[in-house]
Amino acid sequence: MSTADLFTILRGLPWTAALTLGAFLAGAVLGVPLVAARQSRILPLRFVAMVFIQIVRGIPPILWLFIIFFGLGMSVFPISPFNAALAGLGLIAAANMAEIYRGALASIHFGQWEASSALNLGRWYTLTDVVAPQAFRVALPSAASYLIGLMKETAVASTIGVSELAFQGNQLSQLTFRGLEVFALVGMFYILLSLPVAWLSRVADGYLQAKVAR
Amino acid sequence: MDGAVLHLGSGKPTMTEDDALAAKGVPSAKGQARKPLIKLDKLSKHYGNHTVLDGIDLEVMPGEVLAIIGPSGSGKSTLLRCINYLEPPDGGHVSIGDISLNAAAPAGRSELSTLRRSVGMVFQSFNLFPHMTVLRNVSLAQERVLGRSRRSADERSMQLLKRVGLADKAEQYPGRCSGGQQQRIAIARALALDPDVMLFDEPTSALDPELGLEVLAVMRELAETGMTMIVVTHEMSFAENVSDTVMIMADGKIIEKGPSADVMRNPQQERTKRFLRAVHDR
Repeated sequence: MSTADLFTILRGLPWTAALTLGAFLAGAVLGVPLVAARQSRILPLRFVAMVFIQIVRGIPPILWLFIIFFGLGMSVFPISPFNAALAGLGLIAAANMAEIYRGALASIHFGQWEASSALNLGRWYTLTDVVAPQAFRVALPSAASYLIGLMKETAVASTIGVSELAFQGNQLSQLTFRGLEVFALVGMFYILLSLPVAWLSRVADGYLQAKVAR
Repeated sequence: MDGAVLHLGSGKPTMTEDDALAAKGVPSAKGQARKPLIKLDKLSKHYGNHTVLDGIDLEVMPGEVLAIIGPSGSGKSTLLRCINYLEPPDGGHVSIGDISLNAAAPAGRSELSTLRRSVGMVFQSFNLFPHMTVLRNVSLAQERVLGRSRRSADERSMQLLKRVGLADKAEQYPGRCSGGQQQRIAIARALALDPDVMLFDEPTSALDPELGLEVLAVMRELAETGMTMIVVTHEMSFAENVSDTVMIMADGKIIEKGPSADVMRNPQQERTKRFLRAVHDR
């Protein structure tokens, strides 16, 4: 394989990275109102959020991309492959992050809520000062492993023509008929991308744990 | 007792609850009728069909230290938690100072906030915030609730930490402190909001006897400064020696209540005798 081939694959790297980070950020942000609705005291809101999360998580990612790109994109509003993939994966990430947040919130001991009530902190400060910082720490390892999972999931975007890593690999293998080497190389790039995430998550977790040290 | 005008040092042949308080130097405005700080009226609480509190009537005078003892499941802790609406009661009235809440009607947010502002609470499991330093634990609510500046909150916190003997722990995280230290920090945290009354929910039950002692010492000191306290406890010596009044509960009812020495040494009710005998025989 030539250096030019390597560069062909490398051209997919920024797309994979952008799609991963974009979808994750969208999910991390949108997951907050979603979990708020999921935990709301208003029953209809809670129900709608629960159904929404179930539907989003229940349909395979590749189908979501087809629905958005071929379905909505061809009939309702034109959308580029990248934006369609970003929207689809962002949606899925939001549902998954909402569930990660929910688990983290559930892990907070009820005594923390009680102490906050007794101190008259009010709902907002209880959340921002007491519960959220602790839940964040609990959510961190799950969120990091989800981020790595999401990164691998971005490969489905190749099916709607986003020229990310898997797409470039596929093109190249069809051009060179050297699928084994090409896809091995593509796989290596995915691993390389996941390493800093895993490392960062461990460092952050270690730092927070040393700080709190129960 | 209502309407009784009681002057400091007014001599009476028998020691009443009020005399006991007066003897302690608890402020009772001269020439004014002493009004109870806390008044519970037919307070009740149910979990489904189970009655946890069965029409509790209770008055606590300013400066009074009331110990609530009794077997597990008698409703002691629930009573305490109903006073600051940590668990909303479902019948009767709660009055603290000038605030009065009707348990039958849903409590408004501002009413609740006013009520809670005058009540400090200490829990069995301390419930400190593990992700904040000891100092932040004590300062947080001062800033958020009382609107104090960081600096004046920290100043007040340091005073209180000194008072409970833990000024040197200010920059530590609670996880590095012993249980006894954590509970003393929790007391400082509650005091930081300048409450009118302090509620203690089995403050020493999660501690070994030695660590419990340091918490009891802080509570005794607090009682001597005239803080109104309601203490749910299994510490009989605290009930007998520190508290002014003792109340025995069983099955959601008050069985007996009176000056601590009387109740502890000369109980009138069979249920009380049985409970105290069981405690002493251990």
